[in-house]
Amino acid sequence: MRADVVCSSGVELLMEYLEGALAPEVQADLEAHVAGCPRCAAFLASYRATPPILRRATLAALPQDLGDSLLAFLRRRRG
Amino acid sequence: MEVPGPEPSDEALAARAAAGDALAFEALVLRHQARAYRLASRLVGLDGDTQDAVQEAFLQVFRKLASFRGESRFSTWLFRIVTNAALMQRRRRSRRPAESLEQYLPRFDAQGLHAATPAQLQVAARAEELLDRQTLAQRAREGIERLPEVYRAAFVLRDLEELETAEVGLVLGLEPAAVRQRVHRARLLLRGYLGHVAEVEP
Repeated sequence: MRADVVCSSGVELLMEYLEGALAPEVQADLEAHVAGCPRCAAFLASYRATPPILRRATLAALPQDLGDSLLAFLRRRRG
Repeated sequence: MEVPGPEPSDEALAARAAAGDALAFEALVLRHQARAYRLASRLVGLDGDTQDAVQEAFLQVFRKLASFRGESRFSTWLFRIVTNAALMQRRRRSRRPAESLEQYLPRFDAQGLHAATPAQLQVAARAEELLDRQTLAQRAREGIERLPEVYRAAFVLRDLEELETAEVGLVLGLEPAAVRQRVHRARLLLRGYLGHVAEVEP
């Protein structure tokens, strides 16, 4: 049976799609829908872009003395 | 005398540390502290004490080394301890309930078609071009803070720390399908939130 993908059902398939976890016929239906739907193409682009944007935006600078202070803390507490 | 060779594996160092080799323990700390710090900083939230969470985590690693049996990779075991320490840190602080991100979920018409235009749907992908770096850094942490608790750790481990879905499952004690479901919900919420921020802030 074909999946009859519309935008709302297609959105729910995107994580599995990007992980290659969809059944081949469902993947084909999703790809066919996205190819003909500029809204879903735009949605997929932003869905895909969100994790790397947030990854780059949350790269914390490590404290300069992280190594020394952590080891010193652990040496004190280990006794 | 040991022959100089390739770096010992985490698991070999852990076995030596469990047997009382302090240098092996410190080698593990030095090898993993940056990764642990980054993970904790993404989990504890904006006003959380990352350093405290990392210290607590490595103290637990030291105390529990004898019980590490090598059934998982050392790094998976460590991620679990760091994640739990960071979540404990969060819970120790009294906090206002965060405003939900539900309003940023995609909307559909009665036929199930996207209600927004392609340009509107695309805007989250342009966040780095539309927002200055500092604003984006602040809003990113606020958005992650506003995720429902059950999605946050899965999202941080999978999408920010880039663990495989299966490994996230091992860290959190979830089936891969449950990890995907949580990460997917988090992505939907944060995608919409990011688009909203990018549209209104420049």
